[in-house]
Amino acid sequence: MDVPIVMPQLGVDIEEAQIDEWLKAEGDAVEEGEQVVIVTTPKVTLELEAPASGVLKSIAIPADEIAKVGTTLGIIETE
Amino acid sequence: MPKELFVDPQVMRKADRLRVPEIPVHAYATPLAEERQRYGDKTLIRVLRDMMMVREFETMLASFKAQGAYAGIEFVYKGPAHLSIGQEGAAVGSALALKPDDHIFGSHRSHGEFIAKGLSAIAGLEPAALAAIMEGHQGGAMLRSVEKILGGDNETEVAETFLLLGLLAEIFMRASGFNGGMGGSMHAFFLPFGAYPNNAIVGGSAGIATGAAMRKRLGGDGGITVAYSGDGSTGCGPVWEAMNFSSMAQLKGLWPEEHRGGLPVLFCFNNNFYAMGGQTIGETAGWDRLSRIGAGINPDAMHAETVDGTNPLAVADAVARKRALLVEGAGPALLDVECYRATGHSTSDANAYRSRDEIKAWTAHDPIALYAASLKEAGILDDTVEAALAEGVAARVRMVTAAAVDPAIAAPVDIRANPTLIGELMFSNTAIALPPEPVGTFNDPASTSRVRQLAKKARHGIDENGGLHSPMRAVTIRDALFETLLHHFTHDESLIGYGEECREWGGAFGVYRGLSDILPYDRLFNAPISEAAIVATAIGYAMEGGRAVVELMYTDFIGRAGDEIFNQMAKWQSMSAGMLKLPVVLRCSIGSKYGAQHSQDWSGLVAHIPGLKVVYPSTPYDAKGLLASALAGNDPVIFFESQRLYDATEMFHEGGVPEDYYQVPIGVPDVKREGTDVTILTLGPSLYAAVGAAETLAAEHGVSAEIIDARSLVPFDYETVLKSVRKTGRILLVSEASERGSFLMTLAADIGRYAHGDLTAPPQVLGSPNWIVPGAEMESTYFPQAQDIIDIVCCELIPEKNTDYRGLRGWDGLDLSRRGI
Repeated sequence: MDVPIVMPQLGVDIEEAQIDEWLKAEGDAVEEGEQVVIVTTPKVTLELEAPASGVLKSIAIPADEIAKVGTTLGIIETE
Repeated sequence: MPKELFVDPQVMRKADRLRVPEIPVHAYATPLAEERQRYGDKTLIRVLRDMMMVREFETMLASFKAQGAYAGIEFVYKGPAHLSIGQEGAAVGSALALKPDDHIFGSHRSHGEFIAKGLSAIAGLEPAALAAIMEGHQGGAMLRSVEKILGGDNETEVAETFLLLGLLAEIFMRASGFNGGMGGSMHAFFLPFGAYPNNAIVGGSAGIATGAAMRKRLGGDGGITVAYSGDGSTGCGPVWEAMNFSSMAQLKGLWPEEHRGGLPVLFCFNNNFYAMGGQTIGETAGWDRLSRIGAGINPDAMHAETVDGTNPLAVADAVARKRALLVEGAGPALLDVECYRATGHSTSDANAYRSRDEIKAWTAHDPIALYAASLKEAGILDDTVEAALAEGVAARVRMVTAAAVDPAIAAPVDIRANPTLIGELMFSNTAIALPPEPVGTFNDPASTSRVRQLAKKARHGIDENGGLHSPMRAVTIRDALFETLLHHFTHDESLIGYGEECREWGGAFGVYRGLSDILPYDRLFNAPISEAAIVATAIGYAMEGGRAVVELMYTDFIGRAGDEIFNQMAKWQSMSAGMLKLPVVLRCSIGSKYGAQHSQDWSGLVAHIPGLKVVYPSTPYDAKGLLASALAGNDPVIFFESQRLYDATEMFHEGGVPEDYYQVPIGVPDVKREGTDVTILTLGPSLYAAVGAAETLAAEHGVSAEIIDARSLVPFDYETVLKSVRKTGRILLVSEASERGSFLMTLAADIGRYAHGDLTAPPQVLGSPNWIVPGAEMESTYFPQAQDIIDIVCCELIPEKNTDYRGLRGWDGLDLSRRGI
């Protein structure tokens, strides 16, 4: 099953954030709760956790790109 | 809050028992025979002579205060005299253990500390160095005077007389005093002898000496600093803040190895048992023995000891041992030097709080008499030599006094000849030039996501379709400040920065974000929540030759650093007659949303205090350039930033925010929108309310508004504003500070004074009302809005528009004032 990693609402007045760094590469195994991607709002840097265990199937928004709140950043394929 | 510091519940929750080190009390027991080996008889006799010198000097001042005369010299001395008679053993003993490059920061009772340190430095300096120092002071003028009155050229005598005359001329506030007459009794200092500023504020030296010690550690200057203060200062919060700051665990753990170690500062409490009218032991303190407080600071208990200040050799022994610890990096250290004050707090003290019996009992413990007796007993001194010493000291002090009251030698400061003389000393208006290439050790900025992100951002806030870029896609004020900070940190090795959340957090509002990946701990660090220590240490760091940019998270916290900002940061350049430079930038954010204690614009409060440059930019272009001017300049600057504007992008400056480094001069307002009918002068975020108002005024009322952003408060060049008023004839001033006593009122009064012929209506002021800042939901009813601006323009400035107040501010100002609101 594909589980999307979604850019969360990081604050009421935050509309978008930048992908700083993917901590996993496509094809890497990830555990639920493990940090997979670092994002930055105008004010803070945050680490987003994997919503499920599985394999990072694809990265939709690469590092240094900006993503709107609600955007799918990547897909985790569960077993 | 580095992540490698793991708060381990297994450790923190384990039952344990703290062990406090033993704190020695009067443990000194070295036989005099050993001290003879250590110092030699000549030095032991000099110690006696130096104590006599301090006492005679203080006696002279007491005599002037009480009788208007000393040794046949009549003189009216109007200034204060906080004398240290009875405390000579403490001053001379500690100075004996200090080297010329150790720097003391005195108390308000500092004449003895100053004289003792000066005499010690003179004994320790090479003749050539002494000559150069004296020649370098005021172009050698004081040295010439001394040579003339002495009629001899014995190097030591010349230097000692120079020391005493420079001090006394300063106490008498003469132009030839060590600080040009701008310091006086409680602020006299002379850097080349290691006597750094004394402080009239009790405990004021603690934080400053701590910052100076930090500079000694980072600048590699060697030596230690000493913070002198009295026992009463243990009741002062900033003293505790300084002690905590000097022993922060990161100094011994997280800082780079070459700079690791507790700060080399000795907190030397000259404990005379009285704190003004209160008695520390038994009445106003609970420590019983002052040295006990060391146990509250760190596991070493600050190596604290109680020492017998009656015996100069006991003090010297303790200071020498503490000095060795400090140099090793085991600091800080604390000494409780008990030394009974024989005379009053000042000459106006009637000693109503202590018994004659007590004073009499202590006369049997007089440091000079006891020490002289011990030297005689050991065969080092006899009556003849003692009498000769006393005679020599009296003759010297009389000679110096005669010179200090002689206007031909020590001329009074001539204000009439130059009415703005003191004003000219407030700011040096000088700046450093940064090298073109980066200097220092730091990680490549390009490796951080912040810098990569910035490289992709638009430099202007308006996109190609005329819309606004989001703050993720264009340079904001937050980014603009970061760019200047990064440039200065990478081009000025002497610059350090700190605040309560500067590293991993990136600053509470993200200005520093990314900097902790670039800069090591000794350039950027998290400070304790100690606003007083943050500001005081920055001042000390700057006095010792460094440069600092420090942060108070909220302007509302200025109260916690009140003395440090108002009395220290603002005063030392002029109290030193311009000899000291204080390149300190204090960033303060002005808040929002959090209500009464987190949202106040206090820019007017600091602008009121002479001696501070004050800046409050509202656009990214101005923020970047003004911060550059502040950081490059050598004057103290309070740099305000609005939390609501950190995300603001550049809407005014053509071409947006330049990528390269540039400076915007402090003190020059900027026209943000041209107009012909009315001038709106704004300070802070009100600029944006004014822009909204101007658009409505043009579209709905046919009024053309010219908008000027003040950008700075001090200095302030009125020319741009006066030029505008000559065109429009009307002016409204807008800011978010509450109106009463605000900076707008000063501007409005001045504009009324300088432009009255050009005005068709009195200047109008629109600030926030004189009540607390409400929480987020009510803020729009509190801070001036566009509609409030339109109301005043149409109802008060251009009454022919004949409109009514549509906003909330149609209230009766006179009635509110009558009721204090």
